[in-house]
Amino acid sequence: MNMYFHELKALRKSTILWALSFSAIVVVFLSLFPSISADAADFKEMLASYPESVRKAVGLELETFFSFLGYYSYTFVYISLCGSVQAMNLGLSVLSKESREKTADFLLTKPVKRSEIYTAKVMAALTSIAATNVVYQAAAWLMASQVAEEGYNRMAFFQISLILFFLQLIFLFLGLMLSVLIKRMKAVLTVSLGVTFGFFILSMLIATGDGGEAKRFLTPFQYFDPLYTISNGWYDTPYLAAGVIIVLFAFAASLYLYWRNDIHSV
Amino acid sequence: MKVMELENLTKRYGKARGIEDVSFSVEEGEIFGFIGPNGAGKSTTIRTLLSLIYPTSGSAKIFGKDCVKFAPEIKQEIGYLPSEVFYYDSMKVIDLLKYSASFYKKDCTARITELADAMNLDLGRKIGDLSLGNKKKVGIVQALLHSPKLLVLDEPTSGLDPLMQQKFFSLLREENKRGVTILFSSHVLGEVQKLCSRVAIIKEGKIIKVETMSVLKENNYKKFRIETGSPVAEDDFKISGIRDFAVKDNVITFLFKGNLNEVTVLMASLDIRNLLVEEPDLEEIFLHYYEK
Repeated sequence: MNMYFHELKALRKSTILWALSFSAIVVVFLSLFPSISADAADFKEMLASYPESVRKAVGLELETFFSFLGYYSYTFVYISLCGSVQAMNLGLSVLSKESREKTADFLLTKPVKRSEIYTAKVMAALTSIAATNVVYQAAAWLMASQVAEEGYNRMAFFQISLILFFLQLIFLFLGLMLSVLIKRMKAVLTVSLGVTFGFFILSMLIATGDGGEAKRFLTPFQYFDPLYTISNGWYDTPYLAAGVIIVLFAFAASLYLYWRNDIHSV
Repeated sequence: MKVMELENLTKRYGKARGIEDVSFSVEEGEIFGFIGPNGAGKSTTIRTLLSLIYPTSGSAKIFGKDCVKFAPEIKQEIGYLPSEVFYYDSMKVIDLLKYSASFYKKDCTARITELADAMNLDLGRKIGDLSLGNKKKVGIVQALLHSPKLLVLDEPTSGLDPLMQQKFFSLLREENKRGVTILFSSHVLGEVQKLCSRVAIIKEGKIIKVETMSVLKENNYKKFRIETGSPVAEDDFKISGIRDFAVKDNVITFLFKGNLNEVTVLMASLDIRNLLVEEPDLEEIFLHYYEK
């Protein structure tokens, strides 16, 4: 437990910052909803003049955009992008920081198994993400109760918000796997932004293209469609399964490689 | 009892050289020197023993147990000090030491204060603010605080001033008296001579000799550099024990092994302007020790 608490302490500041940022974003987005829904007719006219491919790329559906959940689904794309960056950052850095900050010699000569180090670090990262999500959920919930129309589907709202957590899990473990594969990682943020935005842009391309059902497996950003969740009351099962498989595979691969890799001197 | 037993330990990095068939053993209670020039494979050997890196072939036992399989168990009783120490910069010294202690199944609080006092280390400061020498002191306390049975020191004296070095050596001797076994790696022959009873010499990844200190000492060369006011006849220095004799302008250089009084007698007749007598570096020792 000593390592877990040590890691947690190291993550405390960044977790608070991310959680507050997410809350701020959701507050700003949702506070715009009343004025947008008031001017719905004008907006519809304006948005309809946009090319269809643009609307698809940014996830705009005219029929749903002016309902509270539709609007939330739209803004959620950007929240999930930020969330993925946070998770990717965490995954890339939590194991590799010992090598980057040259403290690996200290930690890895302690009487612990590498798997114990891995577990402590990953548990701390998961705690950080869970805490971020609890704060985010609370902020989103509070905001929704202020601005949403009466009788909106609370369950669907919760399920959409939960997508943040799922995406973060996927990106956390992808980050962990990358961090043990890349031999010398100089800057975490460049890799993290590169990978996340790469997946995000791919997702936008797939959204505009035709017959994207199979292509959707290529990027986690396509795994969870809020609109599907609203109308079906559950996530799109094949893609949810793909997410689970990625997490399990990346978990096993990163653990194995972390256990097996040589720790080179500084 | 053998505390350490290396058998044909080999580590290759692709084509780059690591270590090849390294075998030696260290007895309980020994201070065992591990010397060789930079890049000879000292750190590679030590890092393999600590299972920071894994051997390509061969094996090593510490306390009679395989150093890879039983790594966590073995490390309970090992203290490790690398040549360059790095810790979490944002932590205070005392917090780092407590964190370090939390890995061991004993209470180390008393020992921390005792060692910090002995090393003159301020426990309240942030690690990021410490000088190199002070960081090194943190490393020393960190390596000793859990009273390990085996100390693994990889070029531990770099960054320590002579005074601290002396304190550190006396600490090591104290530990040794209590039965602690020490593996001391270095490229400075002098400090190994001061401390160790037996040495292994490694060169280009291979152990070329395991020798007791007393034998090594018999081969103790001194390096002379004499600057004179007037030219010197080369023939004056034809005494046994002199090697690599060279005269350039008014500067004479040579290596000498034997009774030093013979040289001082010779020098008494010279018009000396400057005189330097030093330990030859390891490369020079190797060269002469093994050319037979």
